[in-house]
Amino acid sequence: MASDKDVTTVNDHKLLELQDISKFFGNVTALEDITTSVEAGKVTCVLGDNGAGKSTFIKILSGVHKPSTGQYLIDGKAVEFDSPRDARDRGIATVFQDLAMAPLLSVWRNFFMGSEPKKGFGPIQWMDSEFAKTTAKAEMKKMGIDVRDIDQPVGTMSGGERQSVAIARAVYFGARVLILDEPTAALGVRQSGVVLKYIRAAAERGLGVIFITHNPSHAYPVGDRFLLLNRGKSLGDFAKSEIEITELTRLMSGGAELEALQHELSRGR
Amino acid sequence: MTDVVMDAQTDDVVHDAKPVIVTADERIAFRGPIQRVLVSPEIGAIIGAVLVWAFFWGNGAKFGTPGTTLIMLDSAAPLGIMAVVVALLMIGGEFDLSSGMMTGATGIMVGLMVKYFHGSGSPMWVAVGAAFVLAGAIGFFNGTLVNRTGLPSFIVTLATFFVLKGVVLVIAKRLEQKVQVADVKEKSGFAGFADFFAHEFKPERFTGRDVAFVALAIGAFAFGAAGLCEQSFVRRTSKAMKSAGARLVAGAVGVVAAVIGFVMLQHTDSVGANVLWGVVAAIGVVVGIVGLATARYDGRDTPRTGASLLGDPNLRNTVAGGVLAVAVACLAPLVLDRNERRPILTWFPNWLRFAVGVIAAITGVAIALRHLWPRLRERFQWYKPIQVVAFAAIVGLLLLAGSLSFLQLTTVQALRAVVMMAMAGIGIGLLMLARGRAAKAASAAQLHIGLIAVVAVAVLAFVIRADSNASRFRSGLFTTLLLIATLLLANTVLETVLVKRREASAKADRLGRRLVMVAFLCGMAALVARVVFANVDGTAEGGSGTSIARMSIFWWLLATVIGAFVLTKTKWGNWIFAVGGNKDAARAIGVPANRVKVALFVTVSLVGCFVGVMVLTRFGSVQASQGDGLEFFYIIAAVVGGNLLTGGYGSVVGASVGALILTMSDSGIAAAGWNQDGKFAVKGVVLIVAVLVNNLVRKKAQEAR
Repeated sequence: MASDKDVTTVNDHKLLELQDISKFFGNVTALEDITTSVEAGKVTCVLGDNGAGKSTFIKILSGVHKPSTGQYLIDGKAVEFDSPRDARDRGIATVFQDLAMAPLLSVWRNFFMGSEPKKGFGPIQWMDSEFAKTTAKAEMKKMGIDVRDIDQPVGTMSGGERQSVAIARAVYFGARVLILDEPTAALGVRQSGVVLKYIRAAAERGLGVIFITHNPSHAYPVGDRFLLLNRGKSLGDFAKSEIEITELTRLMSGGAELEALQHELSRGR
Repeated sequence: MTDVVMDAQTDDVVHDAKPVIVTADERIAFRGPIQRVLVSPEIGAIIGAVLVWAFFWGNGAKFGTPGTTLIMLDSAAPLGIMAVVVALLMIGGEFDLSSGMMTGATGIMVGLMVKYFHGSGSPMWVAVGAAFVLAGAIGFFNGTLVNRTGLPSFIVTLATFFVLKGVVLVIAKRLEQKVQVADVKEKSGFAGFADFFAHEFKPERFTGRDVAFVALAIGAFAFGAAGLCEQSFVRRTSKAMKSAGARLVAGAVGVVAAVIGFVMLQHTDSVGANVLWGVVAAIGVVVGIVGLATARYDGRDTPRTGASLLGDPNLRNTVAGGVLAVAVACLAPLVLDRNERRPILTWFPNWLRFAVGVIAAITGVAIALRHLWPRLRERFQWYKPIQVVAFAAIVGLLLLAGSLSFLQLTTVQALRAVVMMAMAGIGIGLLMLARGRAAKAASAAQLHIGLIAVVAVAVLAFVIRADSNASRFRSGLFTTLLLIATLLLANTVLETVLVKRREASAKADRLGRRLVMVAFLCGMAALVARVVFANVDGTAEGGSGTSIARMSIFWWLLATVIGAFVLTKTKWGNWIFAVGGNKDAARAIGVPANRVKVALFVTVSLVGCFVGVMVLTRFGSVQASQGDGLEFFYIIAAVVGGNLLTGGYGSVVGASVGALILTMSDSGIAAAGWNQDGKFAVKGVVLIVAVLVNNLVRKKAQEAR
């Protein structure tokens, strides 16, 4: 956690960089020559429709898969992850679509799952549950959420609230890069807005955020950089100044293909 | 008065000053101490254990005496220890069907090694060490195979179970020519291990036993009451507390009177003196609790707005039902003869019995038809309440007709006990329900209903004393009921005059929890004092001679405490919950899920080996079929204790209590003199009822939040 202070001072520094990453599963090419990067305090959006390779991309980032070719750089140095834990230890935190939570466990137990605060002497150690409860509640508050009851099972929370728990957890555990897998996919309009706010809040706290989505109107307001994927290939990696939301939508939804379809439909009438 | 309330709150916040001030969320209603207890997974099992215990205590004179209790606990210990680890494994999302066979196989292995290894047999410690290594290896194999293949642990461990069973039978038969390994007791080192695993403690004679019991029990009640008050009511400011000197003095006088009363009760024997000191003690308890509590906590000043007892028909009917039920319980002894052991239906002539059977059958068919056929259901809507009554009547008739005769519930004598217990329970339950409703509506009826309940309990106590001839009812149950009535009276007064706390206060809640913990420890110590020590003349109650405590009970307690500590207080416990709740999520967030599962399987196997050696050293011999099929009882105990079959939720304490319930139903049937073969039926009923009750409690508790 001490480290994120250093990070905020070096703002133009590329925290995470992918160079010509490809991934093959047998004879299937899941990803081909993807290049992008994320800086501290910035949000990089990865856009793609179903089957664009977003899932493979996120699994490579979070250390579940190793890339077949290409380089994965952190702070300019090439790395290789054997497990998600490795990635986490390097400050790459992933919030998966299923949120990585046990629904029957309480909020604070989920918050500290896998990194329980310890207390005790010698070999006899136990969880500092008092600390865990207060901290979880306080961290949620920092994200702007007042949890009803820190002892309530996570399964009883709304989708947006669960997202916020996952994000707050990643931020608290010293994540430098936060990877969000479709955080707004299952949410209503208002809830999505709230989650976008958390994303911006996380970036403002000095994290690099990789926001994966299929919704350009969610991506454009918060993103600083946009990587477009289509059928495992990159359609381009743009800074915000280089692209408009209409162009983003057009490219994302299959661009030319959709235009042709539209043409066909109007002729049919 | 309102500004006092405000003061109390700000005072609290200042004392609680932590880095972050946690403000209350207005959307969530505050949960009192009782509701908070009700959401814990083991609560259903604990209530069930108390009910099962009460049921058999009332039906068998040999059940629940210190001597038989220790024997029962000793026989429950292997099941209890295994239930603890099996519950951990179940919470982690897996089963181990080889766990039962493990206890037998390791016992056999040690027995055979000690007798035949290298011709003359190995020392005991070598054999036990080898058994532990083997058990650990099998557990590791189970866990690794489940992780690697992703097969359900049900299949993997079923395979292990059969392999173990086959190997054990083959080896045991080849070496021993029979399926029992005996004569192990003389082997080298056996005595030491027997001492460690199954040492016998003969009870010491301890003249102060009864005094210690009473003192500890009073302590338990006092601390418990203080803890509950601390968690339920609003503290006054220290200023306001100083002005409550008179109440403090009254409370102190009450406490002194109560203590004197209880001490004198121990020392006097005449009826007149007992009544006198009993009344002094009761008044002392009420005055003491109310005086001290009103001095410390804030009084109520808002006027009551709800309807009175007679004004609200709903409330009135519930109370009337409760009073009626208690009255039936009190009058039952007059109608039904205690010494009548004949089945009830033998009272009636044959043709009447035939008619009763026909009516029962017709009603049953009618209910079934109506249930299956929507058109009939619409046609006979008026029939709905009658259906409930008819259903109860059929069950009653079946009981009377003797189809459940193995339980011998069909005699007049048994019917009498059941009617008294059930009606008393239903009556008091209805009254408490009505009191709760009145409290919610802020109605003055709360006080009235509370007083009615107190009177009902007291009347019940005297009816039981007048009616019964067994001393356990005449003194034990009588005193307990009167004590309950007294505490209920104090509670009713407090609920009426004090303000209930509506928001969390970390400090008060913590103090309250600690007080309740101390109360629990006092209560346990009281029970231990009563069970482990012989009384003055060296015999235990119940005429079963001296009681013997075995080391196994200690191991069971230790396993439960360690298991509960690991599960709720350590990171491993959190990982177990996480792995059982959502394995992929846990792995993704950095929990070493595979390691946790392997560790759980290894733990189950090692503890299975421990239990196997314990059973071997306890009896000095072991059957090849030892442990075969017990794995299901481990799982049943865990499920009865509130553990989910799907993992991710549960409690170690619950599993332990579940094991206790199963054992109680066994030894209770024996003590009551019922047909032993019925115990499987009883276990089945216990299992399904426990699961239903657990689900109900969990649902209700979640609604209550």
